[in-house]
Formats: sequence, structure tokens, C-alpha cells
Amino acid sequence: MSVEEQLIQHAKQGKLLTHKCTDCGYLHLSTAYYCLKCGSKGFEDTILDGTGEIATYTIITVAPAGFEKYTPYAFVVLQLDDTHLRISGFMPEIATPADLSVGTRAKITGFDDRGIIIEKQ
Amino acid sequence: MTLVEKVCVLGAGSTKYGKLHESIADIMTQASVSAIESAGIGPKDIKASYISNVFGVADKQVHLGPVLMSRLGIPDKPSLTIESACGSGSVSFREAFANVAAGFYDCLVVTGVEKVTHTGTEWTTTYFAYCSDFFYEGQAGASFPGLFASMARAYLTEFDATEEDFARVAVKNHDNGLLNPKAHMQKKITIDDVMNSPVVASPLKLYDCCPFSDGASSVILCSEKFAKDNGGDYIEVIGSGRGGSPAALQGREHLTTIPSTKIAAEAAYKMAGLTAKDIDFAEVHDCFTVAEIVDTEDLGFFEKGKGVVAVREGRTKLNSDISINPSGGLKSKGHPIGATGVGQVVEVFDQLTGNAGQRTVKDAKIGLTHNFGATGASCAVHVFQSV
Repeated sequence: MSVEEQLIQHAKQGKLLTHKCTDCGYLHLSTAYYCLKCGSKGFEDTILDGTGEIATYTIITVAPAGFEKYTPYAFVVLQLDDTHLRISGFMPEIATPADLSVGTRAKITGFDDRGIIIEKQ
Repeated sequence: MTLVEKVCVLGAGSTKYGKLHESIADIMTQASVSAIESAGIGPKDIKASYISNVFGVADKQVHLGPVLMSRLGIPDKPSLTIESACGSGSVSFREAFANVAAGFYDCLVVTGVEKVTHTGTEWTTTYFAYCSDFFYEGQAGASFPGLFASMARAYLTEFDATEEDFARVAVKNHDNGLLNPKAHMQKKITIDDVMNSPVVASPLKLYDCCPFSDGASSVILCSEKFAKDNGGDYIEVIGSGRGGSPAALQGREHLTTIPSTKIAAEAAYKMAGLTAKDIDFAEVHDCFTVAEIVDTEDLGFFEKGKGVVAVREGRTKLNSDISINPSGGLKSKGHPIGATGVGQVVEVFDQLTGNAGQRTVKDAKIGLTHNFGATGASCAVHVFQSV
């Protein structure tokens, strides 16, 4: 299974698969093949709960093909708990900035034709 | 690094930017011919071409180089097409610069082109999103306005800025574009016009966004010896830098800084032996209003968080402290993505050779171009001086 497929399988379980460098300990999203810090190729899987706070977001009203039926929706960047890592995703049922703010608690809840799904907690 | 040759821009030309009815092959050739004529050379002087383009497939023409060279009557000369999303033009220019500087060629044509407006807003919104880190961004419904809107939300959260401040960038660039006969959007607008335009991706509204444009731009790049022998007006390329950033916004240390801009600018300033304070005017990548503010900070014109203050105080208007985007920028001049980076060089050439008409930056000697791909995942910065 490719790294993207593995990440998707974990996201479908509401989890985030990450890679920890076995040489320096730096944590990466699992699509990294070499360590950003030391260049090493050895990683061990670390599974996160996919929880955190909204670092930034937008509510999209002019959508790419395939997303018209979901409009309006939010594209969010989630700052994950207890790590420097962030993850992007699709947040359903957000229509106006009153529905969401930076700092809101949220979690990965799945993966489908909208990519990684992140919902408010 | 030792440059074997000093590199000069000897000629420059663009089509009008906007909705064009001619084919992609037609408009790239028109721009190239205008650059050749501006340089006062003939096509046989050109030793190779660098073409920048992203969506040639939209107009049923890829492998653009040989088509251009055939139409110029020099089909035996080599060509190369370069794609680096919205930064294709400056990256192509950089590769051409490196080849002249290394002494491989003494005269090149660098042409950027895009033809997409016939495809409609949904096609362009969809396909432009392929320039993102698609697995994480485009696949989750992120459009390009959406990605820059995410940066805008972060900027509003982190600094003392308002959506009206973003609107001021659009108003300024439309004012400049009114003085540019080749600009796509030749329309004066007000802050209220921006604020009342439809939301595309909050907090960005339609008038915070550059238009999808067709257009082509071309420059003749040559060695200093070739330029002197030719006898026409030319400008010198004194700094060239490139940089990269994590492809997805989520991987950036700061959501309101574009690392590739800082890396490219540092390299370009170092080569030129200058600092940001020495720059008289700059053509920067204002694909969205917030981007221009971030750019002016990352290029070192203003401290982080103070770019917005400079806009509010009018310090980036034409002939103020530093003229930012005298051409009208991507916002008003337009953004034919493969052509944009080359078009910025055309503006600098026109400014530094006294051909910028009413939008002339007074007493300008040093100009800078800044152009990036996607949300700044790739970037090139160039510094030019009048001769």
C-alpha cells in the first residue's frame, strides 16, 4: 500500500498516520520519504488522534468541479495537538464566518471524495 | 559563482492582456515579434528560446517551442517549454539568464503565454487547483482563491489589519492599470466596490482576486557584448535568485510568510550587491490583494505585519515611497499565468528605458520583479538596473 493509501486508511478511522525519524525524532506527515531535518530515510509510524485547533480557514463559495453540490463549505488548516504538524481538510456545513473561528477545536473524522474530512468537536 | 557574461534585456513586448480571440500560437508569436522589433534585431540573431506556459492543452497546443521557432523562420534552433505554475515566466527567464551568463548563448528569446479564458470559470478554478499540493489541498476542495483566503484569514488574525486594507491594494493597482493600455482591467474602483463585490472565498471577494487572463509577453535576453554591438537601448540584469517553499500551506512555519520569496530575494540582492532599500520600484506577485502585502514584507520593503500599514498610508502608490506594481500588477494588468513573470520584465524594461508613459516611476534606476508559482511553492526574484 502506498503512503497516500495508508494515510487515507487511517483518516477513514479518524486517525492521522505520521512518520517519526528514527535518527533525530522529527515528526512528519506520512507522505515524507526523507527527514526534513537530517535527511535520514528511516521512519517509524506514529498514529495521532487527529485533534487540534483551527489555524486558519476559508469558506469557499466559488468551487472547483465536483464540489458545487457542497457549496458553501470550509477548507481548513488544523494545528494538531502536541506537535508542530498541521493538516488541511474539508469541513462540511460551514456557511458564514460566524460558523467557525480560528482556534476552534476540531478533529479528523474521515476521508471520501472531499479529501480528508475535519469536523468541529 | 562567477558569471562569464553580464546579461542584458535588449527588447521587450507584450500582447494586450485580457480575453483574446487568437490562438495560443498566434499570441505567443505576436509578443515574440514585438520583442524582436523592440530589440532592433532579426530572428536569425536568436540562438534558442525559453517558453513558459501552464495550460497549453486548453488551446490544443503543447510543445510550444518548435511552433514558435517555426513561425519565426528559425525551426532549426533549440527550444524548451517550462512549467512552474504561475511562476513559470520568471523561472523560464532565470534559466535563460543562466545560459547567457554561462556563455552558452549570446542572444535568446524568452516568451511566456497563456490562453484559458475560453474555458470558463469552472474549468480554470478546477485546473488551477492542480497547481496546489493536490493530495492535501485541491482534493479537499481548496481553490486558489481559497488558499490565499486562508493566508488572508491568518494575516487578519495575526496582525492589525482589516478587509478594507486588502481592498486598498486593489484600488491602487486599478489606478495604475488605468495608465497601462495593455492592462486587462482598465476600470477605476473604490474600496466600497471591493467590499460589495461577491465573496469568492471568505475573506476574499471578487475584486480581491486577479482575473483569469489570456496574453503573451516576450523579452530578448543577451550578453552585454551583444547588446553593445547592437546599439539599441538595453537594461542590465544584476541579480537573480530562486527559492522554494513547502508545497502545501500546512507545511509552512508561518502562514503569513512565503519562504521562497525570502530565499529568492536574499540571493538576488546578494548577487546585485544591493538591499531592499535600493529598489526604486517593484513588480510583485499580487494574484490576490493579501499576496501583495505579504510580498512587500518578504521582499524586505516593510517589516512583517507592517506591509498593511504601508498600504493604508499610501506608501506603495505610484511615485510614493516605493512604487509597487506600477503596471497595475496581476490584479489589474491581468494574470495570463505562463506570461506573467515575463510580463513583469517587460514592465521593468519599459520603465528603465523611458517607455512607460503616464505610469513612469520618476528617476527610477533599479527595478525588481517577483513572481511565484501556486501559493509561493516556487519563486524567482530578479533585479535590473538602467544602463
